Amino acid sequence: MEYVSPEGLRLDGRRPMEMRQIRGEIGVVAKADGSALFEMGNTKVIAAVYGPREVQNRSQQLNDSALVRCEYTMANFSTGDRMRKPKGDRRSTEISLVIRQTMEACIMTHLMPRSQIDIFVQVLQADGGTRSACINAASLALADAGIPMRDLVTSCSAGYLNSTPLLDLNYIEDSAGGADVTLGIMPKLDKVTLLQMDAKLSVETFENVMQLAIEGCKAVATYIREVLLENTKQLEYRRGI
Amino acid sequence: MVGLSIGEKHFIQGGIAQDLRSDGRKRLTTRPIYVETGVISQANGSARVRMGATDVIASVKAELGRPNALQPDKGKVVVNVDCSPTAAPMFEGRGGEELSAELSVALQCCLLGGKSGSGAGIDLSSLVVVEGKICWDLYIDGLVVSSDGNLLDALGAAIKAALSNTGIPKVNVAAGASGDEQPEVDVSDEEFLQFDTSRVPVIVTLTKVGRHYIVDATSEEESQMSSAVSISINRQGHICGLTKRGGAGLDPSIILDMISVAKTVSEQLINTLDSHIAAAEAGEEES
Amino acid sequence: MRELQLSLNQTQKVRLQRALEKLEFLSSKANSNASVTVADSIPVNYEDGLLKGHGTSEFNGEVVATVCGIVERVNKLVYVRALRARYKPEVGDIIVGRVIEVAPKRWRVEINYSHDAVLMLSSMNLPDGIQRRRTALDELNMRSIFEENDVICAEVRGFQHDGLHLQARSQKYGKLGRGQLLTVPSYLVKRRKQHFHNLENYGIDLIIGCNGFIWVGEHVQVTDDMVVDQVNKSEQDDAKPDENSFSPEDQEKNYTRQETRENICRAANAIRVLSTLGFNITVEVITETVDLSTSINVAIHEMLGSEFYVLVAEKESVRRSMTKKK
Repeated sequence: MEYVSPEGLRLDGRRPMEMRQIRGEIGVVAKADGSALFEMGNTKVIAAVYGPREVQNRSQQLNDSALVRCEYTMANFSTGDRMRKPKGDRRSTEISLVIRQTMEACIMTHLMPRSQIDIFVQVLQADGGTRSACINAASLALADAGIPMRDLVTSCSAGYLNSTPLLDLNYIEDSAGGADVTLGIMPKLDKVTLLQMDAKLSVETFENVMQLAIEGCKAVATYIREVLLENTKQLEYRRGI
Repeated sequence: MVGLSIGEKHFIQGGIAQDLRSDGRKRLTTRPIYVETGVISQANGSARVRMGATDVIASVKAELGRPNALQPDKGKVVVNVDCSPTAAPMFEGRGGEELSAELSVALQCCLLGGKSGSGAGIDLSSLVVVEGKICWDLYIDGLVVSSDGNLLDALGAAIKAALSNTGIPKVNVAAGASGDEQPEVDVSDEEFLQFDTSRVPVIVTLTKVGRHYIVDATSEEESQMSSAVSISINRQGHICGLTKRGGAGLDPSIILDMISVAKTVSEQLINTLDSHIAAAEAGEEES
Repeated sequence: MRELQLSLNQTQKVRLQRALEKLEFLSSKANSNASVTVADSIPVNYEDGLLKGHGTSEFNGEVVATVCGIVERVNKLVYVRALRARYKPEVGDIIVGRVIEVAPKRWRVEINYSHDAVLMLSSMNLPDGIQRRRTALDELNMRSIFEENDVICAEVRGFQHDGLHLQARSQKYGKLGRGQLLTVPSYLVKRRKQHFHNLENYGIDLIIGCNGFIWVGEHVQVTDDMVVDQVNKSEQDDAKPDENSFSPEDQEKNYTRQETRENICRAANAIRVLSTLGFNITVEVITETVDLSTSINVAIHEMLGSEFYVLVAEKESVRRSMTKKK
């Protein structure tokens, strides 16, 4: 099948290097310490952060750093074909772990010893790139909760189809069988914190695809920073003196 | 769930007795309700309903299936509710399962009628494409994103809004198939049939605290309830289903009294909901 | 962007927008662009020497923010004041909290901090008001002072090896009776001299805890130590019959008076509105909002409707421009 037309357009009309429309909104869950909604095209994710708070299960308490926990859930209606998946299947467990490790790398956990931070991500619509959307949403939610972080982790995926590197795959492109590289970076520190790929690629192509994903992450970072800065300014001027 | 001190409990109970609740409402005043439709683009219909800090999403997906052999002239509807851990950390893992099951069953009984499917709030016979062979299966999924009491009513309202947002594709059945053969169908992706929701009921939950009962309880008020009766009523004023929760016993005459109160409340609720749905649909078309 | 979860009609939208823009204009004069987000570098002048405070870290020789907030400079110290975050206790803060556990010789109290605070039995004035060593009997009777879920008011004593300690060494501290507890983001509460307020013309008590827990309740007469004994006794006599008798009539007589309740609910809704709009919460603003609602005859529950939000925002913009001019 042809995923990139001879004119250089993808199935949804994007250019190969073009990202889908992204949108972030802060403060969507009233009772959480921090929360955010993040959309990448049709992929829509809510993240809620509770904490830092007292560790609920004393045996898990860490004496030198905060305990970070994460749970990823997909709504029944999130996928194109409705699927009834049991909670905590292998895929969700794996993604929960990936998100937890990625966020743990940027949270300054040593500043909050003997406490617990819970990150809950809920997928409302899945259309490819849910991992990336979850990480971006979690970053926004953590920043909203005022949790100190080294940097904002942002994530984006890129793939390789019809001998073209493509940025930010949607579901159809993702399931086309080509490589799918999901990347998470800390833009300021210039470090990669998440890297996953599920097909074979030559080293040179991989380099190109990864470079493309890095550009994507940076674009997401620029957007997220704008949202956060605007939000901070608003909070400050509304509060007054 | 919600821990309250004796003074706070006393205050809440007193407020209900004096007809002035903690947020200034009277016993039968509801919180303002916000409706947004078409929030899930992949579904046939969807809606998000907010009442105070309660926030729920309902979606409707239609799939072609075979009718049940016992009821060849009826489609199938499945209602399922999930509580997202974003709403409260206690819903993490399997923590929300009990509440989810309770809500699913209550909704099923309020909207779908008995096993025979007769008297259901949702008209099941309109879902049949070819009698005995093809029908639409409606999967109604609810998701609790944020919770501050009165989840059942909010879910009921969201489902009603989602159903009125639902377009079921028009199906052309190839003629000629006879006997046991499964006829060939052609699902149109342009023409949609609007689902008739005029008879879909709304749910009104009356929560009994002390000697009085209230509508649209917050979670603090729910923690003080002795029992609650959820009544689903449609526009015609017919009761489509009823569930009672909570441990304390109720006097039969009180139940009848509650039903008549629920009827008046439901009229207002249906009217506000309808106007909100219409406004939401209009807003959606604009954007 | 944090969006207000309100359904506004077109004119209300415009009015709210205008009011908020005015607020932005008023504040932008005062502090220049000091807002930062995570990982923004903070320009500093190294020549004067430098102390890095909260919310900052060092990377590649630059000072970098680790939270979103406002950069503050005090002499050599540079720190980022976080806005939305959990409460950061300071010694002497007056806080409102909820008891979650009665442990040996101490209560654990939830105060919106990253850990539970500890109130030792020994940092607590005993009901009889006598200073003495705490006996085993006192320890057994701890639940008669505070039990689980009680809302209490106390002062931050300081950090000890096992966490944050509270103290309640005055009659004004202690258990809070009838009323409601509201939670607001703690950055909206500013530390002031006075956190206990008795709004006499409303007959209510208002305690604005530094941790963002606000108590609005019936006014309780604070008595000094000398007469506590007798009053306590007579109070107990009063209290006994209604707690033990289950007849609803008796209980109903004992409920908060209608008028007081109206005032409590009005004040509570005023706080809810201010907190949603993200305005600084002080006793003056709360009373002004309450007065605004009564002067234009808004029903109490309608204070949470869209129109009143817009009115409060407009009022706040006028108020702030007035104080500016002075």
